Amino acid sequence: MSSHATRRLILLSLLVLIAAVLTLMNPVFLTAGNLLKLLQEASQTGIVAVGFTLVMISAGIDMSIGGIIALTAMVSINFISYTKLPVYVFVPLTLLVGVAAGFFNGFFITRFKLPEFIVTLATKGILSGLALVIAVKDSMGFVQNVYIQNEAYLWFGSSTFGGLYRTTIAFVLLGVGTQFFLKNTRGGTNIYATGANASAAKLTGISTERTVMGVYVFSGFCASLAAIFISSRMMTAMPELGIGSEMDVIASVVIGGTTFAGGMGDIWGTMIGSVFLALIKNGILKLGISPWIQPIVIGGIIVLTVIIDVWQKKLSDRLATKSKLRKIASAPGRRAA
Amino acid sequence: MKRKSIPTELKLAGVLALLMAALSILSPRFLTLDNLTNVIWSVCLIGILSSGAIYPRITGGIDLSLGSMAALMGIVADLFMNKLGVHWIPSILLTMAIGGSIGLFNGFIVAKIKVPAFVVTMAAKTYLYGVALVVSQGAMLAILKPQPFIAIGTGRFLGLPNPIYIMLVLVVASQFLLKKTAFGRKVMAVGANEVAAKLSGVDPDAIRLASYAISGVTSAIGGVVLASLTQQVFAAAASGIELEVMTALVIGGTSPVGGKGSIVGALLGAIMVAFIINGLNLLNIPAPFHPIVTGVVILLALLLNEGHLSIRGLGLGRSAGRQASI
Amino acid sequence: METKHANGDNLLTCKGVTKSYNGPIVLDNVDFSVRRGEVHALVGENGAGKSTLIKVVTGATGRNSGTITFDGEQMPLEFSRKDAQARGIACIFQELSLIPGMTVAQNIFLAKEPTIGRTRIIDKKKMNHQAQALIDKYKFPLKAEAAIDSISIAQRQLVEILKALSDNAKLMIMDEPTSSLTKTEVEMLFEIIHTLRGEGISVLYISHRMEEVYALSDRVTVLRDGKLVSILNKDMISPAEIIRLMIGHSISEKAVHHRLESKRSPVVLEVENITTVGKFENISFSLHKGEILGLGGLVGSGRTEVVRALYGIDPIDSGSVKFLGTPYVPSVKASIAAGIGFIPEERRLQGILATQTITSNIGIANLDVLAPKGVVSIRKELERAQKGISLLNVKPPDPSHLVGNLSGGNQQKVVLAKWLVRDLKLVFIDEPTVGIDIGAKEEIYEHIRKLSAEGVSILLVSSDLPELTRLADRVLVLRKGRIFHEFKDCVLTGEKILRAASGIIEEAADEA
Repeated sequence: MSSHATRRLILLSLLVLIAAVLTLMNPVFLTAGNLLKLLQEASQTGIVAVGFTLVMISAGIDMSIGGIIALTAMVSINFISYTKLPVYVFVPLTLLVGVAAGFFNGFFITRFKLPEFIVTLATKGILSGLALVIAVKDSMGFVQNVYIQNEAYLWFGSSTFGGLYRTTIAFVLLGVGTQFFLKNTRGGTNIYATGANASAAKLTGISTERTVMGVYVFSGFCASLAAIFISSRMMTAMPELGIGSEMDVIASVVIGGTTFAGGMGDIWGTMIGSVFLALIKNGILKLGISPWIQPIVIGGIIVLTVIIDVWQKKLSDRLATKSKLRKIASAPGRRAA
Repeated sequence: MKRKSIPTELKLAGVLALLMAALSILSPRFLTLDNLTNVIWSVCLIGILSSGAIYPRITGGIDLSLGSMAALMGIVADLFMNKLGVHWIPSILLTMAIGGSIGLFNGFIVAKIKVPAFVVTMAAKTYLYGVALVVSQGAMLAILKPQPFIAIGTGRFLGLPNPIYIMLVLVVASQFLLKKTAFGRKVMAVGANEVAAKLSGVDPDAIRLASYAISGVTSAIGGVVLASLTQQVFAAAASGIELEVMTALVIGGTSPVGGKGSIVGALLGAIMVAFIINGLNLLNIPAPFHPIVTGVVILLALLLNEGHLSIRGLGLGRSAGRQASI
Repeated sequence: METKHANGDNLLTCKGVTKSYNGPIVLDNVDFSVRRGEVHALVGENGAGKSTLIKVVTGATGRNSGTITFDGEQMPLEFSRKDAQARGIACIFQELSLIPGMTVAQNIFLAKEPTIGRTRIIDKKKMNHQAQALIDKYKFPLKAEAAIDSISIAQRQLVEILKALSDNAKLMIMDEPTSSLTKTEVEMLFEIIHTLRGEGISVLYISHRMEEVYALSDRVTVLRDGKLVSILNKDMISPAEIIRLMIGHSISEKAVHHRLESKRSPVVLEVENITTVGKFENISFSLHKGEILGLGGLVGSGRTEVVRALYGIDPIDSGSVKFLGTPYVPSVKASIAAGIGFIPEERRLQGILATQTITSNIGIANLDVLAPKGVVSIRKELERAQKGISLLNVKPPDPSHLVGNLSGGNQQKVVLAKWLVRDLKLVFIDEPTVGIDIGAKEEIYEHIRKLSAEGVSILLVSSDLPELTRLADRVLVLRKGRIFHEFKDCVLTGEKILRAASGIIEEAADEA
């Protein structure tokens, strides 16, 4: 586990280093206002990334999160525009969008054993289409930009004591809770076992189907939760909201040390990863670099991180076989006389 | 399990005929030359991109970068012709070479460093989009010259739009490469059983590298055709088209686990997707429903083609299965 | 080491167990029993039915008839592995089924972790404590909180044993447990087996290694051709006797007392002192034109590794290879170009392209001829496919048939065919007849002989002893990565090969 600790240490040092450089280049960076905003941005991506981490630990992938965010936001807007339901009634109902989408993904994956990538990509198409269909439209049929004025709903995206955003509080609570679940409960152990060695897990008596279903449902829930916070913070929502956000989410998770092969990773890493990503995006902004660089940086980070992780694994495997071979070679091989 | 004796292509053609019959009954406008030409036209881009994207797919990988790549290559072609003043023919050839090189780079990371293909190409999709934004300065650029370049997409030959001929040439070439050459045989073998292929003298890494390079070249051609057809280039010009290409491939019977695939099938798949969307339009079903239909169609095609895959069962670990079933 | 258990106190009793996989009978009316607290060895040649018997007992497969009683309870005809585990039958597999990334304690208690109260929250302290207590009880060199990835293969095996013990296993089945262990690790395992026996736990031990069977077991059951041959008590166990029983002296065996005769033809392949660390050491031999050189030895003795290295799949650390008199550095491409073929073991994983036609499968190794300029001549390809099909009598003789849908024997014929349609000088053949029916087997033997008659040199790796004795002109027996013995110009029997493979030198040396 030492390589894991080293990796995390390097990541944290990089985080501090980049923050220090940014402060030197633009003092505005180290103001409370900017840092709180940075954390708020990190939290918006981070909430989705928490659910996504569980999917990746189980060796799956959820490409539908963007669609879930869009549809959730549209459902929410519809409730606000057309009903007088109080927030505490419609927000929980809205969260069911993600849960249902997760069930849909999980059903096709576990029941028919279809490839997870394509199933969730198809779900994304369906959900983003639905988001467009139910979007609030004007008399000409064009999508209308609804300005959210529901005070109770805006509560979610606003800040509280000390300027800390509620999104950030929610992210930390969700993160800590999920980390505890992963590391300290049977459910969490089952996710690791399913991702690392599904057939062994099955043989030991773990229901891998239920585990897979569970992680997709949770991922959907997290995406829906994020949609509430994002739309509340923006005070509006378009049916395109969240489309394309999967790259930010994947970047956060991968930077945090969770691998696509499954069975590895944790929420602490993802939390650091989302702050890291927000820091870099914030830095690009604060240094006045063209925002067009952003996708290049995000794409680049994902590829580089994954390459480094693959190399590191290869290296440690090679060292392991070498020491094993040495052991075999040095063992007294009895030569027949 | 019953053995399939009818080839996928034939079944697809049958379904397509049924679909056409249904549509012509439902809408009198369907069976007009104008409408049919329109459908084929909208198929062109998907067909061009599929003719190359099928190679990574058969080797068991995927190329998700082709949308960003096509948009970027349109911008690059414009850069060569209208900013640097290069003649349009070398400009296009250079663009194709650049597309091929980027594909080669993707292939290198997939084949040599062994990073899952969908991660590599999804990340490539993102950073190529960024590069396109930077090169185009985030703007939508109009291309009004040179005339021969514009004619590639907008001109007609024997009454049919030029892109149809380009697509047909590429599809035929791709089908020839896949079915009639040693390279095609090796691609199929790598997808079916990499170890067996290796023991028979195939170099799987080289085959993978070449597959992604081919997809890069066809993406560049797609980008050029799109630019010339729409007479404009911008970074998001072809965003999301990878989903339509993958749909066409899945419908066409290209297996998500590799080792199986037909470019003719993919073309029929592309036509089918286009017909469905065209039908929705003719029946006055609003555009937002289109991605919903695409999504449902992919799921249905997967269930039909790959439903029997569930026999993979316990033998393969889930993680192993996932790696293979991108 | 004395057994003090009353006769008849059986933990596991199998009576008349019969199993057939769609046709051939693999287990024929087998009576078998394991007593409480004994170490019982199960031996037999490859294909004798050992692994099938284990599969039946652990619930991995059902049986056709016969009764199984475990711990006084009748087992139904079909039961799941989970059922078997719940009753106390545990199997330590060769391929370990532990979860990487978890600790020893987490693996031991996977899916049965102690929780806090009635919640699903794991009581980690208690879990680690219980695990350590279990480890200490058996004095295993393990730490409860160590990560699985950081411990050796032998230690992982111990974790598997602990996992079974924590399930209250009464019968522990160990399938070739020492195949990847060092000598000291093997000794440690033996000690642990003795401890288990002292605890009253029965151990069913499957091994090819006679010295282990001899050192460990209280009783030995010998299987041959799916039938029970003999049950030996402690005082009757001797390696030579077990081998004699395993081979048997059936009438057909008389017919396979083959006289080896060396070929005097020119040398095709000359191998000098090749070594790959950890796989094989100082292997030297020469292979003559048209000769069939058998490579025998136990699984894991380095046979497959030698042919893989010579074909160019894996690197050779030191030593030299000469092919047709000139120095040769093996690589797959160069081998194919030079007229060398390779028929791998495990045809499903390494041999066939299941989703493709017979034509494509044969074509893939012949692209140099079929497509010299890159374009495949469909006519020539079909000709080759048809040639291959008729040469090897593949059924159905339809070139467009998918290979994945052929029977095992026909799949193997296709794998052979893709090389046999070439102009070969040398071919490496690794376990050519595993899991195929007797008819197809004979046909494949016929082709191997014909090849040799045509002047093709053959290096044949096999665990099937009659296969070696009947086909080979000369046999090298490998043991622990070295050539242990060479059989030439003598009468060869399977028994002799097995003795040499088991390291019984005195008698084997007599032949030389």
